[in-house]
Amino acid sequence: MNPSIILFGKLFSQISQLFNFGNGSTWPGHIALKLNRNFIQDILKNSQTKIILIAGTNGKTTTSLLLKTILEENGQKVIHNSSGANLLNGLASALLLNSNAAGKITADYAIFEVDENTLPIVLKEIDPQYVVLLNLFRDQLDRYGEVASVAAKWTQSLLHEETIRLILNADDPQVAFIGQQLFNHKNVKYFGLNEKGRKEFEHAVDSIYCPRCGNKLSYSAIYYSHLGDWHCEKCELKRPQLALDEINFTPLSGLYNKYNTLAAILTAKELEIPENTIESALKKFKPAFGRQEVVEYNGKKIQILLTKNPAGFNQTLQTIKSLGAKNIIIALNDGIADGTDVSWIWDIDTEMLNDFARNITVTGDRAYDMGLRLKYSTSSLKIENCKLKIEPNLNIAIDTALQAVSQSETLYILPTYTAMLDIRKILGGKKIL
Amino acid sequence: MSTKYQIPNTKYSLRIAWLYPDLMSTYGDRGNIIALQKRCEWRGINVEFVPITVDSNHKLLANCDLLFMGGGEDRQQKIVSDDFQKGNDKILRELIEKETPGLFICGAYQFLGKYYKEADGSIVNGLGILDIYTENPGIKTKRLIGNMAFACHPELVSGSSCHSRESGNLSEKIPDRVGDDNNIIGFENHGGRTYLGKNVQSLGKVLTGFGNNGEDQTEGAIYKNTIGSYSHGPILPKNPQLADWLISKALEIKYKKEISLEPLDDSLESQAKEAMLQRLKINH
Repeated sequence: MNPSIILFGKLFSQISQLFNFGNGSTWPGHIALKLNRNFIQDILKNSQTKIILIAGTNGKTTTSLLLKTILEENGQKVIHNSSGANLLNGLASALLLNSNAAGKITADYAIFEVDENTLPIVLKEIDPQYVVLLNLFRDQLDRYGEVASVAAKWTQSLLHEETIRLILNADDPQVAFIGQQLFNHKNVKYFGLNEKGRKEFEHAVDSIYCPRCGNKLSYSAIYYSHLGDWHCEKCELKRPQLALDEINFTPLSGLYNKYNTLAAILTAKELEIPENTIESALKKFKPAFGRQEVVEYNGKKIQILLTKNPAGFNQTLQTIKSLGAKNIIIALNDGIADGTDVSWIWDIDTEMLNDFARNITVTGDRAYDMGLRLKYSTSSLKIENCKLKIEPNLNIAIDTALQAVSQSETLYILPTYTAMLDIRKILGGKKIL
Repeated sequence: MSTKYQIPNTKYSLRIAWLYPDLMSTYGDRGNIIALQKRCEWRGINVEFVPITVDSNHKLLANCDLLFMGGGEDRQQKIVSDDFQKGNDKILRELIEKETPGLFICGAYQFLGKYYKEADGSIVNGLGILDIYTENPGIKTKRLIGNMAFACHPELVSGSSCHSRESGNLSEKIPDRVGDDNNIIGFENHGGRTYLGKNVQSLGKVLTGFGNNGEDQTEGAIYKNTIGSYSHGPILPKNPQLADWLISKALEIKYKKEISLEPLDDSLESQAKEAMLQRLKINH
């Protein structure tokens, strides 16, 4: 049955691209699954492709792209799902569009980034060689629920999958504990950092209580949010031993990208990719759209950094501060893909902006909410004294913000997910992962 | 965002208790603390925040003038519940009974009630300070999630704290239609349905959204000067009248006299509220 579905799906995808229907990256898979519930299992049964799943609140797209770049540098053929198409229909679409007429996948590897809630469902359909778990932060509580319950679901779904090899972030207590509960420890490898950390937590921390006994955890180093070198003084659970904690070169700025790079390299090393191949791949790496990608628009430089939850936002603020940012747009939408609850902006340490920002424009569906957050980040009562503009229209916001940017400067845009898609349209960029 | 504004100085000061900030602050509830802090600071009222957490000295809580507690995840609420039983429960009850103002959001609001019946039917006892109880109808029923708006007692949002009122009895009824400034906006996300008993009044009447239980159009509760609400958002920066009500009540109780608050420029707050009310198609 699959070959005819595939033919139909490919045709559908071309038509949808031709007429710019949007959702071209999920509809073919959606239809394929409707026609054959076992579409994914059937197509994989026919193929020799090894599968790597990547899940976590932040860094899925960047880590997938890093690993793909490394594997391709090593001469392997790799397929992957589009960023955001990380539910079952997105995976089915990627398989469909990359299969030949006989319904076979010829790629060596399929790297799939998987939505937090979808991981247990995907594990029922797919038998991956590796599962990489990056982190768990509070994100879209209206959609995902609470951090601890996501961790519990992941553990349940991995409990009897003894053949899967796990690559886990040791610095995230909830994620590390997943590995510590699974009996087959030799199939679990951890990455993490060993460097000087901060002494105090940011406000946006989720998991600083022991995942086993509930006692407050102690940290000998805090890296960001609740990530760090942790241990429990009561039940003696502690950060597991690291298989990788050092990298020579990171293609992207920011501590959070160091973790993404560590995850990709550790997986590559487990796949026995030579070190010099890994290094040369990283040097060629080009970021995905919106993940620190620099674009030129009307002769000026714009760098876009997707920000969708407090932990990521704090990291982004640290990163643009270190890059010398002065001109900033924050674009806050509240679509389903952004999370309809924007309360989370009060968990970000926007007070940091006082140290370096010169012009800030807030925009998007919830521009006024972000404006309020910034008003309450200053000790100033009068908003006119701040160089803060509130402009709900994204087009106008970009145009006016750019006027204040000199040729030698960069405009930094921090959008939520759907705002990033809107910006892509405005800037005319077609490049998206 | 440089500041040229001269911070005034008054002789007033408030100690604000933030109950379990590391455990009960899931949905941006810190915004409520920021709003209280800034709105005092901008008026020259000295503020000291007193974080109360596991094993904090009980005297800390007893000496506070205003109380705040946010929502939390189930696992964290259990830790808090255990800690309360070590003595903070009695102190909190005394504070609330002697009219110390406070704001309790979502999980914290449920916690002040008689009990919480979990999705699996098991009962978790509350502090029993408010005459309310909460039941989660089971995992198959949907959580109540979305933007919300409700009409609040005019007295709480009139910008003045000095209306006389018998304890526990609001002098005015909630109007059916929204007035100019008694509408409150927020975002709710709760599985439990809360029902009010006879000894407590609702905080407001639901205009859009679910409120306490999605059935009787009530939202939140008010008892003496304690407010319970399902509204995240967070509620205070988006509805600064409520923040000012809490601040002036706290000053009134502490200094035993009426203290009128310096008005602030809330034009941005009004714009933000207006944008949301328009989106929710609420005319006033």
